[in-house]
Amino acid sequence: MTEVTLNNVVKRYGHHQAVHGINLDIQHGEFVVLVGPSGCGKSTTLRMIAGLEEISDGNVAIGGRVVNDLPPRERNISMVFQNYALYPHMNVRENLGFSLKIAKRPQAEIDEAVREAATILGLDELMDRKPAALSGGQRQRVAMGRAIVRHPDVFLFDEPLSNLDAKLRTQMRVEIKKLHQKVGNTIVYVTHDQVEAMTLADRIVLMRDGHIIQVGTPLELFNTPVDTFVATFIGSPPMNIVDGVVTQNNTIRLSDGQEIPVPSSARGGIFTGQKVQFGFRADNLSPVGHGVSEDGEGAEIELTVNLSEPLGTETILFADLADTEVQGKMLNPRPVAPGERMTFRLTLDKAHVFDAETTNAIRSN
Amino acid sequence: MRRRLPEWFLLLLPAIIVIAVVVLIPLLFSLYSSFTPYKLTRPSSLWKWIGTRNYERILEDWKFWAAFGRTILVLTIALNLEMLFGLGIALMVNKVTWGQRTLRTILMFPMMFSPILVGFQFKFIFNDNVGLVNNVLQSTGLTDAALPWLVDGRLALFSILFAEIWMSTSVFAILILAGLFAMPRDPLEAAKVDGCTPWQSFRHITLPFLMPFIYIAMTIRSLDVARAYDIVQIMTGGGPARRTELLWTLMSRTGYVDAKMGLANAMGYVSILLSIAFTVYFFKKLSAARAELGMAG
Amino acid sequence: MDRNQSHRSRRRLLKVLHFAGLFMIMAIICIPGLWIVLNSFRPTVEIMAKPPVWSPSFTLEHYQAMFAGAGEGGVPVFSYFRNSLIVSIVSTFIAILIGMSGGYAFARYRFKGKPGYFVGLMLFRAVPGVALSLPLFIVFARVGIIDTHFGLILAYVAMNVPFTIWLTDGFFRQIPKELHEAAEIDGCTRWQAFWKVEFPVARSGVASAAIFAFLTSWNEFALASQLTRSVRSKTMPVGLLDFTAEFTINWGGMCALAVLMILPALILTFIVQKHLIAGLTFGGVKG
Repeated sequence: MTEVTLNNVVKRYGHHQAVHGINLDIQHGEFVVLVGPSGCGKSTTLRMIAGLEEISDGNVAIGGRVVNDLPPRERNISMVFQNYALYPHMNVRENLGFSLKIAKRPQAEIDEAVREAATILGLDELMDRKPAALSGGQRQRVAMGRAIVRHPDVFLFDEPLSNLDAKLRTQMRVEIKKLHQKVGNTIVYVTHDQVEAMTLADRIVLMRDGHIIQVGTPLELFNTPVDTFVATFIGSPPMNIVDGVVTQNNTIRLSDGQEIPVPSSARGGIFTGQKVQFGFRADNLSPVGHGVSEDGEGAEIELTVNLSEPLGTETILFADLADTEVQGKMLNPRPVAPGERMTFRLTLDKAHVFDAETTNAIRSN
Repeated sequence: MRRRLPEWFLLLLPAIIVIAVVVLIPLLFSLYSSFTPYKLTRPSSLWKWIGTRNYERILEDWKFWAAFGRTILVLTIALNLEMLFGLGIALMVNKVTWGQRTLRTILMFPMMFSPILVGFQFKFIFNDNVGLVNNVLQSTGLTDAALPWLVDGRLALFSILFAEIWMSTSVFAILILAGLFAMPRDPLEAAKVDGCTPWQSFRHITLPFLMPFIYIAMTIRSLDVARAYDIVQIMTGGGPARRTELLWTLMSRTGYVDAKMGLANAMGYVSILLSIAFTVYFFKKLSAARAELGMAG
Repeated sequence: MDRNQSHRSRRRLLKVLHFAGLFMIMAIICIPGLWIVLNSFRPTVEIMAKPPVWSPSFTLEHYQAMFAGAGEGGVPVFSYFRNSLIVSIVSTFIAILIGMSGGYAFARYRFKGKPGYFVGLMLFRAVPGVALSLPLFIVFARVGIIDTHFGLILAYVAMNVPFTIWLTDGFFRQIPKELHEAAEIDGCTRWQAFWKVEFPVARSGVASAAIFAFLTSWNEFALASQLTRSVRSKTMPVGLLDFTAEFTINWGGMCALAVLMILPALILTFIVQKHLIAGLTFGGVKG
């Protein structure tokens, strides 16, 4: 069993603290994605697990064994780097077999393991090439092959797809997921791309400024964000956030005087006069008859469309709501001219209310 | 547990030890002996402390000042001309579309020559009797009499400068050429379209980009300006009548011929300070130029 | 039309000037060396002839004399060549080991006062050989290593280490640090990661640093002229002076020795010239 446990892990560079006491339990075979904007400490955390960065405080355990002072080679992990870090003077075969050669395994065993990894990743044709003669996607695959050859307890991925173009990235994302299903190891994966996080993770760890903001499954983070940061970080397009004040009759008054009913999910946690931020996704704002269902809690608002982005099956509409630009989605689209005034329906089932000061989500339990 | 030395220091340690033993200790010794009337022939004189008298004697000695001034003059002229020639050659070679590799290889030619060899080579070529220059001049009838290239003071200084520049211009040419190769095309093309004359785009785009490369060359050169000693020593030995005496030849004459070690070491210190001043100056320029182009890191 | 015409003729003129300029420069660079080579094959009588003889004849007499051990004028060129070779190769090897370790420290570790250490080391390289030769001579004489290979090797190692550090620092810095991290994760110790991954990748750079060190040692005169005394340790640059008697100079013999000196340097430089330039610029610009 190879769970990874982070217990109050801290990283300090001189006076600057990059990671502030992180606690995290990663189960055996789980695919965990650390995600966050750049500089949030996610890579540092990964590098501390790898042993490439000293742990200033707290401890990291792999498979129940505290590894704080063990060098990387004794942690039985493998890692895929952002720039792949393939050894330029070795061909693909030698790159794949390097770790086993260092471990002084018999040649037959090395050959067998290398062949196996090559087959899994479709590298058989490329075995005698040097990294310089490979395309970006092929290099990426070799880097992954190098990681699986050793059958490590834990795979670490440090932004492995960020150097690839969009198309290849989607393709490799699928391959990584397949790989995980095939080998079933514990994976810790770092990225700044929320789409990658959503598509790959069993569990997402969202970080900011060296703190963990929220941990949960992709759907948990998407549906019940703990604050506006999570709400705007996860999901595309980002959640619309509009400022407002709670009134006596359970509505939120926006800056232009318009009032929207407080969603029932938040009713228990608010008080009159509270400054709040009202959040809803583009999926929940559509012109009447073009997407959002007419049932359930909802509100109808008049909006002037500033801009429309047709995507084929849907069109993203940009409009100003109380001086804030919001986005809505139009299904079964028809052409929309800029300046057109339309009636939108906003469903409140999946809308969120956040406290304006703390930015935390308000939910009645 | 005993606190161990950091790894970086252990890695640097061999270098530090070797330099300390071979350079630092002798330098400290020579610093000490520059305060004594030490003569090789009389070892006991090493223990007599005379304070700064050697330095005072140097400062009062017009021969020293003449050599010092001449050294500065020669270095200034040589470094500037080397830079200009190097720049010119690099620009010309950069324009060539055919056989560039060969030209570059030829450019490296003088870099392989030992300074002593350069000195000898030009002593031969400028020899008033059998030298190539005089032979050509006389055969073509440009002059009747043999020009005393290494005997006349001014001509000798010219010959030495020629040798020095011949030897060291390639360092500049090669490095500036490397800079030209590394230069992005777009800004130059943008300037052309924006209506810059060739001179303007050189002055405002090419040159600023090349500055760090020029300073690298300057820094590398400043590390061994004293190699000029080898050339002068061979070509004229500081003569005729001290007309080409540089700090270094004066020092070696004082030390080895006159055996006045204390005095020579005092001069040595002046020359060391001079070299260090050059090096530090160019290092500073180099990092400033780098910072300006955002290459620091 | 006229403007086009004038621009075209101006361009043509510039082209001619450009070509002529390049030709002159290359001539000035090449002729002195070629002249030496040429004269090493001419009989002394012809070199000294007045008026000059322009149609050269060919002789190997200078080379024969040179390789006969103690040839004309009794210059033991063969011993000088051997001394030069031993001193240069051994000192280069040691300087590269020491310099590489220092360069690696600068490239891979962060520590306080790094620029200070770096410039400090460079300054020791800037100490003029002549200024150093006086005290070094006295110290070496005390220790008793004047006129030995060991003494000269020691001096050259110290002289070459700073510049080797400069060059190797630049080369190691070009190698992404993820490479040794990957190697460490693959099971290497730091030592293995260096020798199995970083060193092979930087090999050509290290080779060019070695060439530089070799050339410096091979060509050095100021120190060698004081630290060597006899056939036991005299190197070729010092040996060159043997051809200069009080008033006469054996030009032909000197030329032959010069050719012998320049040949190894020439060959070595051509082998690594590409890396040589890359090394100098990377070390400097991206420092």
